[in-house]
Amino acid sequence: MNAIDALDNQIIRFHGVTKHFGETYALRDLTFEVRKNDFLFITGPSGAGKSTLIKLLYMGERMSDGYAIIDGMNLARIGRRQIPQLRRKIGVIFQDFKLIANRTVFQNVALVMEVAGFKSRSVIRQRVEDLLELVGLPHQADAYPPTLSGGEKQRAAVARAMVGKPRIILADEPTASLDPDASERVLQLLRAAHARGATVLITTHDTRLLSRFDARVIYLESGRRVDGPAAAENVND
Amino acid sequence: MIDVCRRALSDFYRHRYLHGVCLFTIALSVFIISAFALFFINAGELMGAWQQGIRITAYLKPDVTKKQAAELATDIEQYAGVASVSYVSGKEGLAWLKEQLGAGSSLLSDLKENPLPDALEIHPAKNMAAMAGADRLAGKIAGFAEVSDVEYAREWMQRFYGIYNLFKVTAFVMAGLVFVAILFIVANTIRLILYSRREEIEITRIIGADEAFIKHPLYLEALMLGSFGGVAGLAMLYGAFFSLMPKLSPEGLLPFFQVRFLPLELVLAILISSMFVGWLGCYFSIRRFLRV
Repeated sequence: MNAIDALDNQIIRFHGVTKHFGETYALRDLTFEVRKNDFLFITGPSGAGKSTLIKLLYMGERMSDGYAIIDGMNLARIGRRQIPQLRRKIGVIFQDFKLIANRTVFQNVALVMEVAGFKSRSVIRQRVEDLLELVGLPHQADAYPPTLSGGEKQRAAVARAMVGKPRIILADEPTASLDPDASERVLQLLRAAHARGATVLITTHDTRLLSRFDARVIYLESGRRVDGPAAAENVND
Repeated sequence: MIDVCRRALSDFYRHRYLHGVCLFTIALSVFIISAFALFFINAGELMGAWQQGIRITAYLKPDVTKKQAAELATDIEQYAGVASVSYVSGKEGLAWLKEQLGAGSSLLSDLKENPLPDALEIHPAKNMAAMAGADRLAGKIAGFAEVSDVEYAREWMQRFYGIYNLFKVTAFVMAGLVFVAILFIVANTIRLILYSRREEIEITRIIGADEAFIKHPLYLEALMLGSFGGVAGLAMLYGAFFSLMPKLSPEGLLPFFQVRFLPLELVLAILISSMFVGWLGCYFSIRRFLRV
């Protein structure tokens, strides 16, 4: 693969990215690339900057320095009006689910398609029903999030992240508040999304999770990327 | 647009309790400001009714003929602020005086000759500017050679005009203060609605909604709140007005004056203002929620 092919194949490119909040640095000089259809873990202890990295990726925060290119869009130069376009390419899954409490599961998932500009109710219905079937929640379509278990909420969140057929799925500690069975089910769904062609980037502090996947791992500590034996040691711990 | 309306109605239903509170706040605000307007309009009309009794009497010199008096009346009628001029002969004046005195008119029976001169009765125009100029008008009339004396309720008119001015200034100041207070209350109530929905708005943005997708239904909801609140407030005032009306009718507390409800143009203006206040409240509140 030559250099141009390699660049073409990249969907995320971070170069020298720094994020600080006043005097506190969350990320320092972070550089990495993610290829299309990669399955990638970002790991590290609490406070390492994993969640900040996810926020930078979906433009929940702006970087302080460096540049990042996501699917051809330079986040350092992106205008306010382009942010929604970027976000429509990304499905985000949060540890605390972030489902809208007074909308049903169906409505939560369908909202992504409404935002994307789908007008046909029948198209939206069909696609949402398919996704709810995939995540095993067809019977909970009319339920409100507060009535669901943690695992069900996270599966609804996965359905929401997948319904817009995004090129990238970001999952910020998706299994942190789930029991082992529910965690396993959510990870299977993320694998399914990967199998459908999405690039999946998962942050986790659970190093046991990493041993079960043959996936690329980026280790962060105090906002910096750590490579080599130190990282391997931490991951194997 | 249909999609925006559908989402606005759906959100309206979904947050019905908070919207209900906001609607009630707007209705109450509209009720208060409309009640003020109703009071000031009717008080203004009441003052106008009192003004109708005001006149300037110009007593003519004894040698002025009826023809000269008629010419003078025509001249005076051309002055700005004059509504009408009528000629009252000394004889008619005495008859009117006897009628007013009633049983006491016997006092006048001993008079050998009529002491009342012929006169012109000048009625100022029914507006406050004409009233304010009454003093100047009386001075001009006194300057005519045919006129021997001019008489009018100068002090009363000045006091009346002063009260009217104070009333007008108070009405404007009160209306301004009430409007600002209502704008503040409505803006904060709408802010409360948006604050309770901040997580929903944040999530909608994360999944890729642009500003228009979020803002348009919110503005529509604010306009709906403004219009429904306006209608409810005016309906409350209408109900209160017609339940109190019998007590204020010509047979009641104000026998000489017919209290009126707000004119249609003002009702429409209040409704549009109410919608505008809803929109403005939304505009002020929404900006902070949509910052990146």
